[in-house]
Amino acid sequence: MTRGYHGEHIKEYQWNRMFNRRSLSAVNMDPSTWPISTAERADTYMQMVFAPMERRLDIAIFRALFASSARQARQFVLHGAVTVNGKKMRHPSYLLNPGDMFQVDPERVMMATGKPKRPTKDQKALPSTSTEEAAESEEADADAEAAAPEAAEGEVDTAAADAAKEKHMETLKQLKTRARKIMSQKDVHMRAKQKKGLRKFLKEVKTAMDSTRKPGDPSIAELDGVEAELTSLLSELSLTPAERKAQAKKDETAQAQSAEGSSLGLLTVKQRAVLSKMIATERTNPHDPSKPYATPWSPRDWMSPFAFIPRYLEVNQRICAAVYLRHPVARAGRSEVPTPFSPTLSQLAFNWYLRRG
Amino acid sequence: MPPRIRGSSCQPQLLLNCIEPVPATSLSSSAALGPLRRPTTSSAPRCSQPFSTTPAPQVTALRRKFKEWCEAKQQLREPQRGQTNYVSQFIPVSESGMTRPDMPFPANKHFRSERVLSEKAREMIWRDVMVNGMPLKAVSAQYSVDMRRVAAVVRMKEIEKKWERENKPLALPYASAVTGMLPLAHLRQGEDPFEPINDIHVHSYTMQQLFVPTSESREFTRADAAKAFGDRILPPDQKMRIPELVQMEKNIHAGMSPQEARDEFVKAASESEKAYAAKQQARLQAAEDRKVRVDSGRFEFRFEKINAEDVGPTGRARRGVGWRYGVPFMDRKRGELKIPTSVE
Repeated sequence: MTRGYHGEHIKEYQWNRMFNRRSLSAVNMDPSTWPISTAERADTYMQMVFAPMERRLDIAIFRALFASSARQARQFVLHGAVTVNGKKMRHPSYLLNPGDMFQVDPERVMMATGKPKRPTKDQKALPSTSTEEAAESEEADADAEAAAPEAAEGEVDTAAADAAKEKHMETLKQLKTRARKIMSQKDVHMRAKQKKGLRKFLKEVKTAMDSTRKPGDPSIAELDGVEAELTSLLSELSLTPAERKAQAKKDETAQAQSAEGSSLGLLTVKQRAVLSKMIATERTNPHDPSKPYATPWSPRDWMSPFAFIPRYLEVNQRICAAVYLRHPVARAGRSEVPTPFSPTLSQLAFNWYLRRG
Repeated sequence: MPPRIRGSSCQPQLLLNCIEPVPATSLSSSAALGPLRRPTTSSAPRCSQPFSTTPAPQVTALRRKFKEWCEAKQQLREPQRGQTNYVSQFIPVSESGMTRPDMPFPANKHFRSERVLSEKAREMIWRDVMVNGMPLKAVSAQYSVDMRRVAAVVRMKEIEKKWERENKPLALPYASAVTGMLPLAHLRQGEDPFEPINDIHVHSYTMQQLFVPTSESREFTRADAAKAFGDRILPPDQKMRIPELVQMEKNIHAGMSPQEARDEFVKAASESEKAYAAKQQARLQAAEDRKVRVDSGRFEFRFEKINAEDVGPTGRARRGVGWRYGVPFMDRKRGELKIPTSVE
């Protein structure tokens, strides 16, 4: 029963060989408290039954939260996505030594822990048009809210041109995200021709955005032209009547917004901060249909209840590397082996393997 | 003669068709489950393939209950930004109904989700070691982080910086999501110590009960106790990872000011680390001196002197080099495990 959680992919005879009845333990001998108190004795040996298992490379990868199961971690190792101390390691049963650094290909980690590309069953159940409309209306609301404090401020200063440009960028960005949304949601029903049109549209948006970023920047009128063109293109590409309606609404708000933007020509500090933050996240976590996971990346469902990193590992998530610092040890009232079973059950398991080990 | 059972009726598929799906009410008391909800789709095991002998998956009461529980606990699905989201927040761990936010497994009270170093804390450690040039032991004692962890943080931070210089993409969205799910330690002033840094391994010799007669007038120290357990057992003062801390405490006890004692400690730690580095360097140099490298352009041959006596009296010692008469050479044998035991 306990083996269902602890390395169910490992054969019983292999585990019988690995089992060790002598668990490691440690005591904290703090020199500043030596005269005052004695060190507490470790007492959680029974929870350490599966400590030898934690030394395996595949299980360590799973514990470092680089894979969503030990089996998946094992597959990463077999497929050559894991290095130990900078050298490729192809044996999932490699027993890590204290100080070993293992590193998994970040793309694999993102794939293992990110949301899958296909929506899950309950997400599919929602009608896609309604979600789109909801998103659209939300966007519109946000726009309206953004416009309100602008009107209240009502000041014109030298930064007006810059602000207007930024405003345009924002609109372009929104259009882009909208197109992407269509791309990601509708790809089941869309025809090839429509897809092609959308791709072309995205490319054009990109060139427009790039041209604004260049130092020799185009005038606002030019930007306006590009924007109008793209908007019309997008409305042409709209697929359903519902969507067309949403698009009309969107256009209205966009126009109103741009009108306001050019008349008042100002963004509040807060808005600018939000915009820059959005751009930054877009840069680090972009939409990229070529990836094998849903982009922008977000963690898998039900991941957080199982997210913990035991003390014998030190993990750097940015480079998807971890160091196996030492073997797991028992301490006073604490054991470092992650096991869901109660002490009683662990004791029974220990006795069971003791008989054979 | 009793009537024969027709062969076809014994086929599992037909038998399965005869079995009626158990109604949801009979599986468990409805009071325990609250408002009764019939499973919408797959409760009735209808066989879509009439020729398949594989029984359709039965929805058991336990499975159904689990699914209902999951549906009720939707906040477990998405991470709660900046705090842990374990199951034990719903399940009381003691009789008083207390729940603990740091217990991933409600049944196992000995395992806790311990804090991990935050990004800023790692950066701080890296800066202290690599920029300010503080000895590892001093950094470890300052932040109460294990020395091995300090070394690991610096090692991985160096790789991270290298990737940044090379414009290699970092897994930033992943990193921010995972650190948002875990309890974090920022190593600020006044925070609880991160982890015990003076851990010593419990040697199995020291786990026995021992009666050692000594005279009352004699001072019995930790060193004597270690000697009593075995000749090769070290006292904790020497087993500790940072033995300089003991001297620091002794100095403070002798009347030295804490600041002065600390400076002394940093000096001693730095010296001991330098000595260790020099020793390692000398060892590597000696190993290099024993080798003769011959570069042929395509290969580099490395020759090392061996001692023929290394094979031992039986000729089977593990340190023996080369093929020996009568000793099986297991390297190429079928079924031999060739999993490396260490990677340099």
